[in-house]
Formats: sequence, structure tokens, C-alpha cells
Amino acid sequence: MTLPVCFSLNVNDAVESVEASPETPLLYILRNDLSLNGPKYGCGLGECGACAILVDGRAVRSCTVPLGAIGTRRITTLEGLGTPEYLHPVQEAFIDEAAAQCGYCLNGMIIATAALLNRNANPDEDAIREALRHHLCRCGTHMEILAAARRAVAYAKAERTYRSTPDGVSPKAAKEVSP
Amino acid sequence: MTDHRQTPKSAYMSSGDMLLIVNDALLGDAAELYIAVGLDSRVTAFNGHVDLGTGIRTSLAQIVAEELNVPFEHVDMVLGTTSVAPNQGATIASETIQITALPLRQAAATARQHLLAMAAEKVGVPLDRLRLEDGIIRADGGENWQLSFGDIVAGSHVRLSIDSHAALKPASDYTLVGSSRPRVDIPDKATGRWTYVHDVRVPGMLHGRVVLPPYAGFDHGDHVGKSLISIDDASVAHISGIVSVVAIGDFVGVVATREEIAIEAAKSLKVVWRAPPEWPDLNMPEKALRANPSTPRKLADRGNVDMALAGSTQPMNRTYVWPYQMHGSIGPSCAVADYNEDGLTVWSGTQNPFPMRRDLALLLDMPEEMIRVERMEAAGCYGRNCADDVTADAALLSRAVKAPVRVQLTREQEHAWEPKGAAQIMDVRGGLDLEGGPSAYDFETRYPSNLAPTLPLILTGKVPPVSDVVQMGDRTAIPPYAYGNLRVTVHDMPPIARASWFRGVSAMPNTFAHECYVDELAAAAGVDPVEYRLRYLHDPRAVDLVNALTERAKWVPHTTWGTLGGEGDLFYGRGFAYAVYVHGPFPGKAAAWAAWVADVAVNKKTGEIAVTKVTCAQDSGMMINPDGVRHQIHGNIIQSTSRVLKEKVEFSSTAVQSKEWGGYPLITFPEVPAIDVLMVPRQDEPPLGVGESASVPSASAIANAVYDATGIRFRELPLTPELVLAALNGKMDEPPAAPPAKKRNWWSIGLSAVGAVAALSGIVTMASPWRPAIGTIQRPNADVYSTATIERGRLAAAAGACNVCHVGNDGTPFAGGRRFDTPFGAVYATNISPDAQSGIGAWSYPAFERAMRAGVSRDGHHLYPAHPYTSFAGADDADLQALYAYMMTQAPVDEKAPETKLKFPYSIRAMMAGWNALFLKAEPFQYVETRNATWNRGAYLVETLGHCSACHTDRNLLGAEKSGSARLSGGFADGWEAPALNAFAKGPVGWTADAFYDYLRTGHARDHGSAVGPMAHVVEAMQPLPDSDIRAMASYLASLNEGKEPADPSAQSEAAIAASDEAKVSAALISPKGERIFNGACATCHTGNTILSSLALNSNLHAVTPDNLLQAILNGVEAPAILAQTTGREAPEVMSMPAFRETLNESQIKDLADYLRARFAPDKPAWTETTKAMERVTAASY
Repeated sequence: MTLPVCFSLNVNDAVESVEASPETPLLYILRNDLSLNGPKYGCGLGECGACAILVDGRAVRSCTVPLGAIGTRRITTLEGLGTPEYLHPVQEAFIDEAAAQCGYCLNGMIIATAALLNRNANPDEDAIREALRHHLCRCGTHMEILAAARRAVAYAKAERTYRSTPDGVSPKAAKEVSP
Repeated sequence: MTDHRQTPKSAYMSSGDMLLIVNDALLGDAAELYIAVGLDSRVTAFNGHVDLGTGIRTSLAQIVAEELNVPFEHVDMVLGTTSVAPNQGATIASETIQITALPLRQAAATARQHLLAMAAEKVGVPLDRLRLEDGIIRADGGENWQLSFGDIVAGSHVRLSIDSHAALKPASDYTLVGSSRPRVDIPDKATGRWTYVHDVRVPGMLHGRVVLPPYAGFDHGDHVGKSLISIDDASVAHISGIVSVVAIGDFVGVVATREEIAIEAAKSLKVVWRAPPEWPDLNMPEKALRANPSTPRKLADRGNVDMALAGSTQPMNRTYVWPYQMHGSIGPSCAVADYNEDGLTVWSGTQNPFPMRRDLALLLDMPEEMIRVERMEAAGCYGRNCADDVTADAALLSRAVKAPVRVQLTREQEHAWEPKGAAQIMDVRGGLDLEGGPSAYDFETRYPSNLAPTLPLILTGKVPPVSDVVQMGDRTAIPPYAYGNLRVTVHDMPPIARASWFRGVSAMPNTFAHECYVDELAAAAGVDPVEYRLRYLHDPRAVDLVNALTERAKWVPHTTWGTLGGEGDLFYGRGFAYAVYVHGPFPGKAAAWAAWVADVAVNKKTGEIAVTKVTCAQDSGMMINPDGVRHQIHGNIIQSTSRVLKEKVEFSSTAVQSKEWGGYPLITFPEVPAIDVLMVPRQDEPPLGVGESASVPSASAIANAVYDATGIRFRELPLTPELVLAALNGKMDEPPAAPPAKKRNWWSIGLSAVGAVAALSGIVTMASPWRPAIGTIQRPNADVYSTATIERGRLAAAAGACNVCHVGNDGTPFAGGRRFDTPFGAVYATNISPDAQSGIGAWSYPAFERAMRAGVSRDGHHLYPAHPYTSFAGADDADLQALYAYMMTQAPVDEKAPETKLKFPYSIRAMMAGWNALFLKAEPFQYVETRNATWNRGAYLVETLGHCSACHTDRNLLGAEKSGSARLSGGFADGWEAPALNAFAKGPVGWTADAFYDYLRTGHARDHGSAVGPMAHVVEAMQPLPDSDIRAMASYLASLNEGKEPADPSAQSEAAIAASDEAKVSAALISPKGERIFNGACATCHTGNTILSSLALNSNLHAVTPDNLLQAILNGVEAPAILAQTTGREAPEVMSMPAFRETLNESQIKDLADYLRARFAPDKPAWTETTKAMERVTAASY
């Protein structure tokens, strides 16, 4: 492990300074230096998806991202996606479908769904399952997670409508839209 | 909760304004607390069982709120924390709702009774006129007053025993219980606000890791706790930030200031262990389990089994085999411990807070009262994982460093060491009688599980590592059918591998046998399997359930398999199974009833089984939270389907080998079946445990469905494609043997030392072996060289990538010391910094030039051709002079590199004179007039300074680059294959000038892959070269292909990808395990990812030997973004490929390599010497 270096990271729309060896997996920086609990350690091998974050809107596994590779790219964690008061449509959909048992994999499921919606606003069932293929859940919450992902597609659509028309329906009202 | 600590019981006991309901008020402050009502009217309820991810926290709060008539939101649940919750034992056997919630409910009723009585007294209204709604007490006459709970408890501390006579609310009045309350924890979990045990941070916390012994996953035997031979502290001396290395018996741990430092320390720490003992083969567990000493215990014996067996018209004796399986928590166990003079606090995801506290007291020689277990949620475990082990790990490390320590187990450790769900063998002897009924049912089951003692207790020698026997094989061992002649025997036995209860404990395997066997009877009797069961099923709730399910699933009675037919390669089938899960010590207690109809499609070409739909009916009695029950049913169906189709722990003779998700795959989203759940309404019946029931019929329902589809009975799990295919084919076809590869590595051509000596000594006589020394000089002053000269030298050094080989082991430029393993022995790069003593500071230019061109050191000794002077010989004088100038202006490093000492006869450096006579052609570079200047510039850089041929050309017996067509046709260096740069390149897409440019400039070419290993550093080193030089090299390299240029690279690349898609099925047939590892470990990045190119284009998959592929798998590959940064380019991929050296074993990597070759280079012959290549690669030091 090489000597610690100062890095400036763009995390959840804030600039954060950290000092660590460039090989340090970003996961540990986010968790230990920035006290972010969204990304979870699951395997350290990029297999399970528990540590997923968004980098420039794309889902990556933070356990395999060396600190030194990130540069000025924009990092978003579960915390930065939305807050309990201002939920991201995907978070809202997962809460509404109670799509968690132990919830340890939830971070990855939400991040992967958010990333999917970033690149495909209208994913069908196959696209959703494919996007979540490499996210493991041991509790067998798959049915609820799939329902949440479908619901998230509808919420995100409603939100876009709301944003694009000044007197459109609010995202809350749009919840009535059946996913 | 501040500082992640629950308010302790003492605070409740000493609070002035408080109503407490305890188990026995006479016990004073030692009483166990169930309910606390405070001044704020909130209700805190305590339960000794914990939430393992099932949502029990919400259901328990519903029960309390219902009984107390308070809004659901006013109830806080505290689960498991030892400083305040009652000791209700381990959270097992789906008994929280059925058993531990009962005193809680009674406590709530007691509180309600008391609060109403106090209100009546306070306002002088008779009790029967008081109404309690939403936590507010009013009179029913409409008087203008109301009391909250806070109003009543204000000013007094009241402590009451649970009143077993306090009236419970009739179920008919329930409004909260029976309704689907949203889970209280999910909003925080979905936004990253929830604190799992993994998220606990306390001030001054350090990070620990443990280093576990080599007998991974086996916890008994004399060697346990006594296998550590030595620890080499010096092996981690270079890592700064290590606080301590701790060793007690076989317990070894490291503590560091930062997590990544602890990881590095645990990885680097050299620990020598005794060789672990060998165990019988547990991959095919039947033999081992039968040989395991056991004690038979008869659970039932009715009728006359022996006589009935003798009289069977059609005897049917069957054996069913269940494999070792994993709990497989997604989050490896983690804990924080804070040991100080006041005692020990641990934050733990334990399933057993109180039993674990006892273990910690024993481990640390301290009274239990000084230990506080703060129970935090963790990843779902469905039985015992390593939560207790890691808590004890943290406690030991915290005690050693006198500071809070967080210990996180690695994925590999959790996989290897979690107590497994045990293998199990079920034998059934029976058959049909004259009427086609079951003649007898003689059932024997073998279950080698135990309580898996907390690991540090046995590693440190605190408790002896002896295997105990617990009577746990008896769950649901009694079949549900009224067999007239019935004998049930359980063979209690000690564990073999470390094992403990796993969802459905022994009931799931026992039911696998019961429900497959009854299906076999039905088939043999020619009766519909459901009808056959109903003949012998007399429990009315079971009969109702079966009937409800068959109606819901539209079950069509049938008396033979194959009635659903199939299409294409698929056979369709449907299977039924039923069970009531009986848990707890025999005779046990029944949890929910469950029954399955499973629909499957079996692919006859691939052997894959798709479970397409599961219809499941369950009778759970009263459901506290119906949505919660539904989620449990879904979870059970999906998890058990995964277990039945995919899951089996792999063992070597000494240790668990499944250490990640490729080797132990779980079901993925595309494989999840459609699920239809029928929840039988029984709100008037007592609630039953629902955590496990729906898993129990799974294996038999699926196996019965596969029988229905194929007519083949599978009696062992998991139902992997290779197992199914072997049965379908009658036997397993061997994968076709590939013709041996022609090309061999230059060192594998058994170089005979004697022959080499003979050859060389013959030559020595022809060339003078001795060269004179050249005198030393004062190191030239930097200011004698112009800036332009130094700059030219810098570029020459970049073109030559000098620092790639001559870099110091700590990264210091030109310090030397890197070791290169050659067939002749280890060669060390020299220090070429301008230090007069250790480097070349005292060298004159003539001495430098002679070394560069002729391979002779200043003092006259010959250099080995690891130094590519044969290439440098052709360099321009001006370039070498500039290089000299540049080197002389670098920072001197006063550190001698290790001396190269080859073994005799190669140690005779003088022999190099002969070698040089043969192979050194000291000609300057010749400009080729027929080519343009760009080409010539490229040729010059490639052939002289760049010395590409040093690696990319095969070498002869004597280690010299071959000439002629071998030139740049690929070679080996540093444990890596340096692929051909000419028309002999093996990749599916031909190299163009553009591709060469991309590769040399950015380290990545779309159609060929990324530069890794030494080449990545070469690309990095060439960064200072102007684009024009890179273009020139690309132009020259592309010309090597002249006449054989690729037709159309994009067509070639499309064709290669299409071929790899087509090879998917055949590759899986060649290496089914390799396919699983690929899917679990690799595919997340290497399929469907738009950023990384397909592996079908990667040169390494098409190479003659798998060396580079193995390098990548073993050691990982740096993120392209890192390389791109050093070359000043953009590369979007920020993920690195992890190293699998510690994770996958040799045979797993071989399976994976076989699969990758067959899948991504389907036109190439299979690799035949993967094992040898592995030896080479693991021996290489790069």
C-alpha cells in the first residue's frame, strides 16, 4: 500500500477532502472518512452489489473502485439520492412496496434501479431483472424489489411530468398512478 | 439512543415517572422488564428475541399497541440488548410470535388494566364507564376530561408483575393486529439512515481483522487451538498504522488505525500453521455421514414394520441426500467492542445476545454483569452465521489494545467459517402392499450438526474443541401421513464440518424424503399424487390447505409423468408437496402449515431447470401482519428454490472451498419464479411461526415436478444442470479433449544445464570473455547539459521505459532491486541512479555506452541479456548521450540493489561473451528509404530504444531472442505472455495502426483489451512521448501485418462476439462449474457492460497459454481510469478487477479458465496445460 495522498472528492454535491492511500477502495473512504452508511461491504469482489454507488450517474461497485481512480467524477450514495423528507422516486417506491427484509442489499437495489432509470426511462420486466441480475439478496425479497422497481418507473415518469409542466401533478399525487 | 447504546434497565428502574411491567416485582431491580410507560405517554416494549430481517420488530409493536389501545407510532421496541431486554434465549425456530410474544402481550394487558384502574381512581368514575382509545382515557358519558398515560404515570414509579389474569383483548376486537402495518425500519434503511452493526462508530474506534487458521470451516479435533507455529512480525513492519498484532492460541488478529490498513496487514502478515488434518469427502456426503459415529434414537414405532416390509409386493428402498449449505448472509459478520476498566460493551448482530454474553464472560474471565451486549441489526442470517464469533474477535482485540475495535470479517472468512447448514442422509424402506397402499414406512435420518461453539473460545483454548452431539435431526421427522406400520429413527451424531441450524433445520431434508417418497408411492401405485396423499392425511387443517391449494393452482389429477409434454428443448412438469413444520425438541411444536405446487421447465439440451411458478398455500393461524407473512412466504420460496437448484458447499480434504458467490451461487432476479400465495384466513386461531414453514416443502415439490417432466427421480441436491444432464443422458459425457497446443514457452523446453554449458563453453573459446574495466569519474555536473539535451534524454528514457524495470521496490525511480525470474535464475535490476557508490554516478559516458550497446558493466563484467542491450545497440549516439545526461541529472539513490547470483553454470558471467558473439549484432539502426519518415521513426523506437522484442519475441534455449518469423511473434516476460505484435497475433480482430495507437497511448484498445501487468507500466512510462512518436510506433507495428491486414475490424469484432454468444451453451457443458463462477464472480462487469469490451475480443482469451488470464484472475487488474489518468486520457471505467488469489482455489480457477476459453475463444483449442501455467504464474514475482 503506497503512502497516503490528499484527494478532493465530489460526493453528494459536496466537495470532501480525504487523505488515504490511492489504492484504498472508495467504499472504505465513503464509510469511514465520510460516515456514509448507504454503501455496504458485502464481498469486496464486485459480486454482490451491496456497495453500489453512482459515479456520474452510472452504478459502480465502490469496493472495487480505487480512491485514486475517481478523479473529479460525481459520486452519489444512497444518502445523496434523497432524504426521508425529499425522497428520490426510487426510494419512495421501495418504501411503498416494503421492498426489504433485512435491508442489507437495499442500497444496491435502489442504486441499480436509479441507474437503470438514468439510462432507460421505460424498462420492461426483462430489463429490470437484467439490471438487478448481479445484485444478490439472501432474504428472497425479489418479488417486492421487482414490484418496487416497476413502481419506481411510474414514479419517475410522474416526476418528470411534474417537473416539465408548471401546473402538472405533484409526485405525491402521481403515486396514485398505478405502476 | 445515543452513542448506539440503549437506555439501560437501571435508568428505567430509577425513573420517578414511570410505569414498569416486569416478570416479578419481588425481584426488585433484578426483575426483567417487558413494558415501560413514561411521562411522554410513549410505550417502550422489550423482547429478548431479535429482528433477523423478518420484520418482527413491527409485528411485536403491533401486538403491544393493540393490547394497550395506543397508536402504533407510540410504541418503541427494544430487542435483545442485554442491558435492558429480558433473557428469552436464542432467536430460533420461528418462535418469537408463537412463544416469546406471549409474556409481552400479557404485560401490555397488565399495563392497560393498571392504567384504567388508576384513571378510575383519579377521576372517580367507575371502571366500566372508562374507554381507552388511541392512548387516551375518557368516560363514555361525554364528560369534559381526558387522561393520557403520561398524566397517570406522572409523579410515581410503579412496578408491577405481569398479571397472568389480566384480561386479554378478544381477537374479534383487533384493529391493528391482522392489519398490514408498514415496516417501521424501511424508510431509514432506504435512505441510508439506519444503523446496522456494520455502521456503528464509537469515538476512538480502531479497525481489526482476524487471520484464521487453515482448517477453515472445521471446529473440532486436537489440532484446534494448537496449529499456530509462528508469526513473522517483520512481514508487516513496513505498514504504518498498525497498532497491534495479537495472537492467543490459534486466534490471530491485527488492529490498525484505518480499515484498509488492517486489511493490508491481515493480508501481509506471514503466519505459519501446522498442516490441517484431512476429513472424509463432504462433497458427496453420504459415505462420510454413514461412517460418522452415531446413536440411534427411535421416535416412533407402530404396527409391525419388519413384517410389513417382508410382505411388500413392491419393495421400495430409497436414500435421499442433502448437501452442506450456507446461511450466506449478504453482509459478512461485523462487531464493535469497547473493553475498558468499567467492563465490556459489544455492538453485535448476534442471534443470541444472552447466550453470547455467557460465552464472552468465559472467554474474557469476567462476570456477565460487566458485559453489555447492544444488539444491532445485521444482514439476514436465517440461522447462525459468524455474528457471535466476530463479536468475540472484537472483544479480544479491544482488550489487547485498550480501545474500541471494529472487526469486519471478509467475504471469504464468512463463507468458510460460518457454521453450515448440515448435510443430511435420509433412508426410507417401504413399498406397496397388495392394494397399492404403503406397506410400511421405515425412516432413518442422519444429521451431523451441533451448536458450533463460538470460534475464539476454541481457537484460544478456553473450551476444548470437542464435538458435542445435539438432538436436532428430529425436526419433522415424523411423516404427516397415517402409515399403519411406521418406524422413525434419528441417528444423533457429532458434526463433521462446523455446522449449526439453518432455516428449516433438519425438517427441510426430512420433508424432502417424506414428500418425494409419497410421490414415488403414488407413481408406483398409478394414483394421482395429491389424491394418494389425501388418503393418508387426516389432519383437517392440512386437508383444507391441500384442497385450497389444488383448487388455486388448478391441479389436474394425473397418474403418470409427462402429461404436460413440452416444446422445443423443454419438458414441462408440475410437483406437489406438503408439510407442517414441527420445530423445537421432539415431539416439538407445529408452526404454520404450508404446501407447494411447483411448475418447472427442464431443458434437455443444457440440463437447466427453470422453476417457472410456485403456488403456495399457508395456514399461519392468526396473522399479526399479513403483508409481513406474505413477505416471509415469498422469501422462503425464493431462498429455498435457490437452495434446491444451486446451493452446495464445496470442500477440499481439509477446508471449505466455496469462498465467494461464484463458487456458491444464489438465485438471481432473472431466475426468480412467478409466485402465487394463498394465505388461508384463520384469524380466530392462535398465531403460528411463519419464518420457515414455506421453505419446508420446496425440495420435494421441485423434485416431484422434475419427475413429472422427465420421469427421472432426483434424490440428491442441488439439481445442477450437470446432474440433470447426466441423468438425462444416462451418463455424463466427457468434454471433448482438445489437441495439444503447439507453441511452448521458451523455458518449458527442458533446458539441460549440461547441454547449455557445453554449448556456451564451446563458444567461450571463440570470443574473449574478459573486458577491461573503465575508470571511474566524478559525477558530471547537471549544468554541463543543455535543457534540450536533458529533455531528449527524458524522452529516450520514456521510450525505453527504463524505470519499469529499474524502479525501486518502494517506487523510488531508478533505484533498482526488482527481481526477474528467468529460467536461469533470479536476475535483479541494478541501481541506475547517478549515485557514485550504488548507482552509475561514477560512470563515464563510454562506460555507459558500452553497457547499453555491448552489455558490459563499467568494471568489465558481462551483463545478462535481461538488460536488452541487443536492442539498444542500434540506438542513435545522440539519444544515448542525451539519455546519459538525463540519468546523471536524476536524484541519486544510495542503496545497493541485490546482486544477481545465478546458479552454476549460469553464474559464469564470462560465458556471456560467447553468447554475445552469437547473438549480439552491434549494428546501428538502418533508415529504410522506401518507407516514409513516420515509419522509420516508429521502426527506430520499436527496434532500438523501445526494445519491444525483448518481451514480445520468443527466446531460444540460451535465452536469446529468436530471429526470422519468430521476431515480435510473441514471447514471455515476468510471468506474463507478451503477445505477438505481427500477423501471428491471436486475437480475433486484426491490429490496425489506430488500435496500436490507442493501446500504446491509453492502455486500452477497444477490440483487444487493456494493458495490464508489466505492459501497463510501459504505457505509463511512455506517457512523456509526443503523440507523433506513438503514431510512428503504431504505424511501424501495423506494417508488420502488411499483406495480412484485417478485412474489416468491426466485422471481425462483431463476428467474435456473436461466436461467443453462440458458444454460451457449449461452454457451460464443457465447464459447468466454470460457468457458475463466471456468472457469480465475473459477469457483473464482463457481460452487458457498455464500458468494458467483450472478453471475446480480449487477446488473452485467444492466447496459446492461459498465463495472462491467470495473472489477471489471481492478481487483479487496475482500473483503466488509473492508467488513463497517467496518460492524460479519459477512461470512464473506474472499477478495478479484484484479485481472486485468496478467494478461488486452483481447481476453481481452472474450471473458470476452461469456461472462458470455450466461451470467448470458441474457435481455439482448449488449454491443456492450465495447471502448469498456474505454477508459472504463481511463481512469478511481477
